[in-house]
Amino acid sequence: MNDSSFGSSLRARIIFAIIVGFFCISVLQLFNMQILQEKTYSTKANENSVKPIYQIAPRGVLYDRNHNILVGNKPTFTLRITPAEYDKKLSPYIETILGVQPGYIDRILKQTQQYSRYIPRRIARDIPFKVIAWYEENASRLPGVDYVIETQRDYSYGVIGSHMFGYTKEISADLLQKKKNKYMMGDEIGFVGIEKTYEDFLRGEKGIQYVLVDSRQKIISSYKNGKHDKPAIKGYDLILSIDKDAQMVAESLFVDKRGAVVAIEPSTGEILAFLSSPQYDLSEFATVTSSDVWRKLNLDENRPLFNRATMSMYSPGSTFKMVSALAALEEGIIDTNYRAYCGGGFQFGDRFFKCLHVHGSVDVITSIEKSCNTFYYQLALKIGIDKWSEYAKKLGFGKKTGVDISEESPGIVPTREYYDKVFGKDRWPKGILVSLGIGQGELSVTPIQLAQYAALIANYGKTAKPHFLKGYIETKTGKYIEIKPEYFDIGISKKSFDIVRRAMFRVVNGAGTATNIRMPDIEIAGKTGTAQNPHGKDHAIFIGFAPYKNPKIAIAVIVENAGFGSVNAAPIARDIIKAYLKKDKIKIEKPAYLSALVNSGKNKSEN
Amino acid sequence: MKIDYKLNDKFDLMIFIPAIILIAIGLVAIYSSTANHPTASGNFLKQVFFVLVSLIIFLIIYSLPQQTFKKFTIPFYAASIFLLVLVLVIGKSVYGSKSWLDFGPIGFQPSEFAKIGTILALSYWLTYKDRDINNIPDIGIALIIGFVPVLLILLEPDTGTAIVFAIITLSLIYWSGISLFGLFVVLSPGIVTLASLFGTFTFALSLAGVVIALFLFKRDIFNSIVVFVMNLGASFFFDYVYKILKPHQQKRIAAFLDPSADPLGSGYNALQAKLAIGSGGLFGKGFMQGNQTQLRFIPEQWTDFIYCVIGEEFGFLGSIIVLILFLIIFIRLLKLSSLAKDKFSALIIIGFLSLLFSHFAINIGMNLGLTPVIGLPLPFLSYGGSSLLSNMILLGIVLNIYRNRKLHT
Repeated sequence: MNDSSFGSSLRARIIFAIIVGFFCISVLQLFNMQILQEKTYSTKANENSVKPIYQIAPRGVLYDRNHNILVGNKPTFTLRITPAEYDKKLSPYIETILGVQPGYIDRILKQTQQYSRYIPRRIARDIPFKVIAWYEENASRLPGVDYVIETQRDYSYGVIGSHMFGYTKEISADLLQKKKNKYMMGDEIGFVGIEKTYEDFLRGEKGIQYVLVDSRQKIISSYKNGKHDKPAIKGYDLILSIDKDAQMVAESLFVDKRGAVVAIEPSTGEILAFLSSPQYDLSEFATVTSSDVWRKLNLDENRPLFNRATMSMYSPGSTFKMVSALAALEEGIIDTNYRAYCGGGFQFGDRFFKCLHVHGSVDVITSIEKSCNTFYYQLALKIGIDKWSEYAKKLGFGKKTGVDISEESPGIVPTREYYDKVFGKDRWPKGILVSLGIGQGELSVTPIQLAQYAALIANYGKTAKPHFLKGYIETKTGKYIEIKPEYFDIGISKKSFDIVRRAMFRVVNGAGTATNIRMPDIEIAGKTGTAQNPHGKDHAIFIGFAPYKNPKIAIAVIVENAGFGSVNAAPIARDIIKAYLKKDKIKIEKPAYLSALVNSGKNKSEN
Repeated sequence: MKIDYKLNDKFDLMIFIPAIILIAIGLVAIYSSTANHPTASGNFLKQVFFVLVSLIIFLIIYSLPQQTFKKFTIPFYAASIFLLVLVLVIGKSVYGSKSWLDFGPIGFQPSEFAKIGTILALSYWLTYKDRDINNIPDIGIALIIGFVPVLLILLEPDTGTAIVFAIITLSLIYWSGISLFGLFVVLSPGIVTLASLFGTFTFALSLAGVVIALFLFKRDIFNSIVVFVMNLGASFFFDYVYKILKPHQQKRIAAFLDPSADPLGSGYNALQAKLAIGSGGLFGKGFMQGNQTQLRFIPEQWTDFIYCVIGEEFGFLGSIIVLILFLIIFIRLLKLSSLAKDKFSALIIIGFLSLLFSHFAINIGMNLGLTPVIGLPLPFLSYGGSSLLSNMILLGIVLNIYRNRKLHT
């Protein structure tokens, strides 16, 4: 080393280079961090300190076809505790006031101890007002305790409707995985019925309030004075096709009975009344459902959670006679002049099939009016399995109706293939077909299929998919948006329908099986049925429509284990029909509240 | 010699003004980071008081006759060592290191004053009469002067300050004109020790490197063996020191070797500091507007992480201005060392330069995520009386040297 003198210029230059070198590295790093990667760092810094607080949006209200509230919302009080400020010595007092077990609060605090101590925990929901009053008086002595107002479903509008409305539940981990971008842990999601089908309309948009938190998650203030906050937007209100009066009558008539009712407006497929009995109390699902409630409902032998109206598979009994009649008339197998002799039954092979009476010579109209079995035993053999099942399917059986709630069974319409499979090719006893002629045997149908069937007959084969939703009100614009029904025509001639309809008219208004429900002012047409029940007493069935000349309602009523349809099911149908048709209803397209909503929406958009 | 009485000739504004601006910026940043703090909100006023006291002491030091420093060197150094021993016995523990001496309401860090003592002592020893810097015993004594405080400070333990002492010692030996072999003798134990931290393989590799270097220097066998044993001894000694380190310091070293090992410990501070600076952008979020700062995501930000307050609230421009002010001071100090009238004075200036620069580089490097988190204040800016006072005393000495540069002794 030639330069070894004190403080030489080479040594100075080396030090200079180190200083300037470090300076340059620092400037480059600053440039990299603050200019090139500013976005990344800002985002991370904001995630650090800006925390969103979500506000749950009230769900849309459910209205009936006349804009009466069916399901609303109500504010409820939720009591919360923030552990960082809370004194555990207070727990016994709060537990006494809430009426819960000692140790209840401690348990919740333990369960949630992995979260920051500055995040409030929900201790009790839907607490009574007297607890809030007590809290307000003593707030200063209750550090770390507060309450928030949240909304929950209000079922106090006189309609139960458990199976059609359904309920919401906290989203499961599996479902959350699929809907990650829309839902968060702890969110409620429609689980059954209309709440499920129209979840996207009903849920609304969560509100977000951004707050600044410090490094311990303690809230310091709002972020930029709430400039980026979003208010919660209520879900869309739904206008359902349900008629509240008819629904309430149906529910009142089914107290202590098991069974189902479905009423449809024939020309549109709109469901006017829908009931599966026994029902359950939806308000028990509005807050957190306790396991006791679940256990009770699941163990109940009446199976209240089961939706009989769309899932229970009944044997249709005599109500199915119109299927055979329509098939035979439409295919030209018989006409109105065709007659069969009823001597009280029908001998087929070595088996005798009974009729309830000796009807003598019977034509097609009388066969329905008097519900003659013999006529249909014979007719079934003439029609044959293929045509019979073709018409059963045309009339909506053996497949889901596609109603807008997801709990539905297709039912069973046996076909040649079905029996070939069970018995071997062409080796099945033809007596089976004889039974099918009167709606017995392997055939099974759901009440909603029966109601659709009644609607098809009432409206000459033209109707729309049965549905609950008429339209909805878009919250932001206040606009009413109508849902178009899915119309269809099954293509059976008016001539055939006329004959069957006349026969059904005579069932009630002639010398038929349901003359007990005849009314002077409303002409009801219908058909009774008694469904064989291998497990107990037969089920009573009635299907019908009214008014006869210009049908506005088609209905199917099933009362389980009630015996004859005429005695037990028909009067219920009559009362529901009466409730729907007889009230003084001047149909207003836009009732006052709705036009107010529409106008306020317009004003907003104009401003 | 003719004496020029112009102010600029007696008082170097080139170095004084940047230092004053840095102190002012520091006060702003301290205010911003403590104003809303529950326990530290009084720190701003305390620092204002420290600034005033430091300025008065600075002026006193500046006005002293020049010979004073040489006279006081030995007592000052002895007192420094005494205080460093004392602090190990009766010191107060702060954040896991015993570096504080308390006298009633006033507390101070002896290591800050030991910096002055050590710079003076080393400058005195290395320039005493006709010192031959390449004479092994002379280097040895210089190393002892420098490394006795290093050892005592490591025992507190305060790694950052110990590193600063080591850098000061090496810088002064370097400036005194040590030969390449001499430099090798001084530096190789450090390199071997550092290598040993990364495991046995790198340790063996570095020892092999030492052996090869010794062959290339073609020194006699005895000297070579002595140097080799020195290397071996140093690394084993460090291994012993590492084991007696406090867990939080071992963690810091571990976090340096593998930054992902401890993301919530010292890695947390480093990350939060980077977020603060990075999110500042070009112009910053504005005074008292930085979320990271105001919401206290960085613990004790007004001390070692003061630079990220500036980075967040004053952005790229503010950060660059601070760097430029330091750059001016460093280059000016380098220049002043050549203007000093004797080698002793020149070495003091180099000592001050190495002190400031090592603090600066370690602190800025830590704030920018370039170096591990080693607790060291940023000169002139960080909150703290001892550090500010020792820097102002040294600045006073430097300007005193400048004032007297043309005088004959």
